[in-house]
Amino acid sequence: MTEDTLSLGASPYPGNPENPISLEDVQRGRERLKVLKARAAKNSLRLLWLLAGPGVLVMLGENDGPSMVSYATTGATYGIGFFVPFILLTFLMAYGVQEMTIRLGAATHRGHSELIFQRFGPFWGYFAMADLVFGNLLTLVTEFIAIQAGGLYFGVAPWLSVAIGSALVFGSMAFRRYVTWERTLLGLAAFNILFVPAALYAHPDGAALGHALATWGPLTGGFNKVFLTLVLANIGATVTPWMIFFQQSAVVDKGMTRADVPQGRMETGIGTVLAAVAAVATVVAAAPLFAAHVDVSRFSSGADFASALRPLLGTTGATLFALGILEAGLVAAMTISTSSSYSLAETLSARHSLNLTFTTGRLFYGTAIGSTLVAAGIVLIPHAPLLAMTLTVNVIATLLMAPALLLLLLLANDREIMGDLANGRWANLAGGTIVIAIAVVGACYGVITAFPRLLG
Amino acid sequence: MHDPSALIEALEPEQLAIATMRPLPRRKLGKGTLGLLITLRVYVAMAIPIVVYAFVHALLTPQ
Repeated sequence: MTEDTLSLGASPYPGNPENPISLEDVQRGRERLKVLKARAAKNSLRLLWLLAGPGVLVMLGENDGPSMVSYATTGATYGIGFFVPFILLTFLMAYGVQEMTIRLGAATHRGHSELIFQRFGPFWGYFAMADLVFGNLLTLVTEFIAIQAGGLYFGVAPWLSVAIGSALVFGSMAFRRYVTWERTLLGLAAFNILFVPAALYAHPDGAALGHALATWGPLTGGFNKVFLTLVLANIGATVTPWMIFFQQSAVVDKGMTRADVPQGRMETGIGTVLAAVAAVATVVAAAPLFAAHVDVSRFSSGADFASALRPLLGTTGATLFALGILEAGLVAAMTISTSSSYSLAETLSARHSLNLTFTTGRLFYGTAIGSTLVAAGIVLIPHAPLLAMTLTVNVIATLLMAPALLLLLLLANDREIMGDLANGRWANLAGGTIVIAIAVVGACYGVITAFPRLLG
Repeated sequence: MHDPSALIEALEPEQLAIATMRPLPRRKLGKGTLGLLITLRVYVAMAIPIVVYAFVHALLTPQ
C-alpha cells in the first residue's frame, strides 16, 4: 500500500505510524461513534436505524427489472395460487443465504471476493470476480432495458431514459460517503412498494390469497415446461450471486462488527419481508391478465405488462406498475454496478469503499462508471442483441450459482476466520439444504435455458 | 464536530483500512474440501461451454 493510495501525508489525524489512518477510516468512524452511543444508551430503534442498509438494499435491489417481469409473468400465467407461497419460500431461502454474508463481513472485515482470493487462492479468486463482473455487466444491460421500457410507458425517448438513468447512477457515486449513498438508495428503494397499491387496483380476493397460502394451490395446468421454467425463474429472481458479494462488502464498508450481527439479521429480515411483499404484490397486480386470458408469452418488458394492465387496473394502477418497473431497474443498476466495483477492486487489492475520494478510489469508481457506460451504450445500439444478453444473464446467474453458494458455505464454516460466528450444526443443515436445492435447481434452469428443447 | 481521535477509537483495530489490506493466510484445505473444490472445477469446466453456447445460440437466433 502506498502513501498515495492512503493519502497519509495529508492526514491531520493522530495515529500510530505503524497503523496509519485514512479519510475512509474517519468517515467510517463517524458512523461507528453514533452506533456506539446508541448502543450505550440502549436505544434499540435508533441502533436498528443506524445499522439498517445492506440487508434492505440487497433484498429490494434484487427485486430488479427482470425479477419483476418474472413475477408479473407468474401472475399473468397462473393467477393467485401455488406461486404465492412458493415466492415467500424463495425469499426465506434468500434470507438464509444472505445471513451468512452478515456474519462473514462482521467477523473478517473483508469483502466476499477478497476472502475467496485470500483463502482459496487465485483460481477461485479470479473466477469469482470474472464471473460476477461479466454477469453483472449483462444484468446491468437488462436493468437499462427496464429503465428504457418504463420511460417508454410515459412517452420518454429511450436515449433520454437511459441518459437520466446513467446520470443518476453516476450521481450516486459522487457522494463519496458510504452512509449518504446508502440512505439515498434506501429512499429510492422504498418505491419498490409501489407494486402494493398497484395490486390493490386489481381488487385482490383476500380469501383466494388465504387459500393459496394455506393449500399451495390451485395450480392450473399442473406440472409442465412453463411451470418448471417459472419455478426456476422465480428462484433465479430471488437468489443471485451479486447479492452475496454486495451485502458482505456493504457490511464491511458500513463498518459493522460482531456486536452488530443481531441488528444485521433484523434489517435483512425487514428487507426480506418488504421485498417478498412487493414480489407477491406484483403477482397479484398481474393476476387480472390471467383472468382475462391474455397471452403474455411475447411480452419482453415491464412496459408491455403496464400497457396490458391499463384497461384492467385503470390508468393509476398501470402507472404505479410502470413507475415500479422504472424504480426496480434504477436501484438495481446502482447496487449491481457497486457490487462490480467492490469485487474487482477487492480481487486486485485496490482500495474499495464508497468513502473514498475519486483520486484514491480510481479503480473502484471507474469500474461502476465504466460498466454503467458500457451497459447504457449497448442498450442504445440499434438492433443490439438484447434478447441474447437477457438469456445469457439468466444462464450465468443460475448455472454459476452453485460455485458461489458452495464457496459461501465453505467460508461460513472457516473457524479460523469466523471464530464463534462460524456456522453451527443447524446453520449448516439449513444452509446446506438451501445451497443444494438452489444449486441443483439453478443448474437445471441453466441447462433448460441453454437447451430449451430438452423438455419437448 | 467530533474529535478525530474519538472517531478512530470508535473503530476496531482490524477495521482500519490499512489492517484490512493485509491479506489473510491461505486456508489449509482438508481432503474433503479439496475434493469438493476439484468437483467444482469440473462443474465450472462443464458450465462455461453451456454459457458460451447459450450466448452464441441466442445471438444467431432471429429476434
